[in-house]
Amino acid sequence: MKDKANPKNHKLTRRDFVKCSAISLAAFSTAASRLHAAGTDTIKVGLIGCGGRGTGAATQALMGVDKSDKLWAMADLFRDKLDVSYDMLSKGAKGRYDHMDFDGLADQMDVPEERKFVGFDAFHKLLGSGVDMVILATPPHFRPEHFEAAVQAGKHVFMEKPVAVDPAGIRKVIAAAKLAKEKRLSVVAGTQRRHQLHYLEIIERIHNGAIGEIVAAQCYWNSGGSSLTDEKPEGMSDMEWQVRHWYYFCWICGDHIVEQHVHNIDIMNWALQAHPVQCMGIGGREVRRGGNIWDHFAIEFEYPQGVRVLSMCRQIPGCSNRVSERIVGTKGFAYIDSATGYIKGENPYEPPGSPNPYVQEHVDLIKSIREGAALNEGVQVAESTMNAIMGRMSAYTGRALKWDWAMNASKLDLTPPKYELGDLPVAPVPVPGKTPLV
Amino acid sequence: MKNKAMQTTPNLSRRDFIKTSAALGAATLASGTGRMFAAGSDKVRIGLIGCGGRGTNDATKCLSSAENVELVAMGDTFGDRLESCRQRLKERLGDKVKVTDDACFSGFDAYKNVLACDVDMVILTTTPHWRPMQLKAAIEAGKHVFMEKPVAVDPVGVRSVIASSELADKKGLTIVAGTQMRRISHLVEGIKSIHDGAIGELVGGQCVRLGGGMLDWGPKQRQPEWSDMEWQIRRWLFITWLSGDFIVEMHVHNLDVMNWAFNAHPVQCIGMGGRQVRTGPEYGNCYDHFAVEYEYPNGVRIEYMGSQIDGCTNRNDQRFVGTKGRAYTDFGRVVIEGPNKTEYAWDNIDPCIKQHADQIAAIREGKRLNEGKRIAESTLTAIMGRMSAYTGRALKWDWAMNASKLDLSPPKYEFGDLEMRPVAVPGKTKLI
Repeated sequence: MKDKANPKNHKLTRRDFVKCSAISLAAFSTAASRLHAAGTDTIKVGLIGCGGRGTGAATQALMGVDKSDKLWAMADLFRDKLDVSYDMLSKGAKGRYDHMDFDGLADQMDVPEERKFVGFDAFHKLLGSGVDMVILATPPHFRPEHFEAAVQAGKHVFMEKPVAVDPAGIRKVIAAAKLAKEKRLSVVAGTQRRHQLHYLEIIERIHNGAIGEIVAAQCYWNSGGSSLTDEKPEGMSDMEWQVRHWYYFCWICGDHIVEQHVHNIDIMNWALQAHPVQCMGIGGREVRRGGNIWDHFAIEFEYPQGVRVLSMCRQIPGCSNRVSERIVGTKGFAYIDSATGYIKGENPYEPPGSPNPYVQEHVDLIKSIREGAALNEGVQVAESTMNAIMGRMSAYTGRALKWDWAMNASKLDLTPPKYELGDLPVAPVPVPGKTPLV
Repeated sequence: MKNKAMQTTPNLSRRDFIKTSAALGAATLASGTGRMFAAGSDKVRIGLIGCGGRGTNDATKCLSSAENVELVAMGDTFGDRLESCRQRLKERLGDKVKVTDDACFSGFDAYKNVLACDVDMVILTTTPHWRPMQLKAAIEAGKHVFMEKPVAVDPVGVRSVIASSELADKKGLTIVAGTQMRRISHLVEGIKSIHDGAIGELVGGQCVRLGGGMLDWGPKQRQPEWSDMEWQIRRWLFITWLSGDFIVEMHVHNLDVMNWAFNAHPVQCIGMGGRQVRTGPEYGNCYDHFAVEYEYPNGVRIEYMGSQIDGCTNRNDQRFVGTKGRAYTDFGRVVIEGPNKTEYAWDNIDPCIKQHADQIAAIREGKRLNEGKRIAESTLTAIMGRMSAYTGRALKWDWAMNASKLDLSPPKYEFGDLEMRPVAVPGKTKLI
């Protein structure tokens, strides 16, 4: 979904991977042979969440791992989703799922019928099927529970961002990330900018003082968006309808500030080496219809030492788009987006191009698994997700919020009463000043 | 700041000359230029155009700001508003209010009738939509002008105000705008210290005004005899063609402080906003929240955030970020943080009286005092933020100032049918 909502905006997307696959694949075979030389066993990958992002992540993982590594098991709430994903992964596809073209990966797949799991508890069954590593790519709501279970089962994890939709979920993710550290499991999150060369180069220079002391910053994801205009088919349960259209329902998606803009907010935390102390936000929905998520947010985040950061995100078609980050220091500033970046001021810098980060993040994860490095991005992505959640909470309620309160005291838990394909009324669209701060 | 704005214009006569120049004074008046005054003593005759709450307040402050200032004529679209205002002013100010029945005018042309009276200065406090045309008429008639902010609701109006301000300079007329923040002592001192480098070079800033929803403002029930036009004018605060929306109508104050500190207007902006709470038809077509990023020269980006929603966290402050520190400003104080740590506190002098006192003094002393272009620029700053949020489009100042054709005027000024324009929809509302 993260790129699907903005097919024209994001300059470097997964589809670019295929376009420049000659270069990319060369780079991966080098990486893969090095991994192979490390002499570890075959890694068995389990895919939990077989939608567009899950299928994409599985593809990128298989491209990033050794040829002997396998996709071993698949799980989804819905059988039809799993079948489409299996079919596509084995046969390849053109123009499906984020317009990604790729050849079939059948020789890296070993997913017999008995390792295809369906239902709300499919993830549990998959975790017991002999996998070494799981890709967690269900809608965000389910991430904390899945991540916790995966770590408890001793699996390495690649998990998509965001990793929760509420503070209760964040606390669960942080606890599980700490357990993963104790168990020396590798955890990588789908905040792929952290694995992208030009981001790494620029942020490292910022940390080394290239722009002096950071005094301000901005981050944006202003792009197109869509509405849920279809009617629920006769006989389909509320739960199935909502999960199949998860993006439009806050309890599953977290709203677009969490689901999508977390990418840019994550860069703020990375650059500032901190999370915010407090925030104040506004927003609403002017255009979007169906479900209950908004279509625009503007948040002022205040970091330690009183550094204030402006975050803006919008999903409305026909508006001016901007997806980037900007960090302002006493000696210059840095601009970064997914394709380019630079530092201006006393220490100007322009990085060379970046390899595709969507594959790189898997290369980094596999490397960590094989080398036992226990790379663990769990707390980092939980904090960035919490930033976004707290911004959403502030905008929804119209109330200024402190990080410590949101992290430790907020009781917000968007979990439905039960996980079954039955009735589930849609929560009303939030109204600032009326929606209570929980 | 005040001294800079009040430089003596050499062409104007000195006070000792004026004292003996009654004939010349009459002559200049006849030619459409302001009457010459004897410093500190000559009577200044005021006409009030726009007799709502703001007009009542400004007239009170103006008449209280100096000796020998009298209100002699009044105009308002509605006779009932005028009469209640006249009664209140008489109660407050006694015989300083010398407005006879034949100097009271109502209707759309009331301002023309006031300008035709023997007044030296007019206070323009009608709803913002009318400011450009009333300023133009006042300057052409040779009157000094005190006008409330904002001074327009669209770029066409802003251009008119700038042209009128230039004409006022040529005619030696004063214009003061009701942006009293410019006369709050701690802001004057604090922003001067920013200009003098107290926080280094400016590299960022925030301008935040989050307040209540004003849901109880004005008449909520439409009377059966009211035409569309009358209903809209009586609900003007919530109707964009009349008020400019709250980012323009109210938050121009705060954006004016940003322009002041930066000594510049923005180069471009990108904004968002909407109405999440004030969604009923009685709230016309205004939004209830905006967020705009303004970019000033040298790529300095500032955040503006504004809302009018009940039950939310309230804030009203500006903050400037420099390479050597920060300045926090609000109605009560300016705090400079960093190596040049200082605090400026309010001196408790009412800036709303001071702005009138300054103008009356300038009129009597024949000094140049013209805030027209400055307030027009601050108004356009707010208007361009609204335009960007309404349309969802990033905007450049030069385009808004020179090329935008946006003109929110209704087809005609008469009490008849007037369809309520739809609430703006980002991505659909056209950028004009």
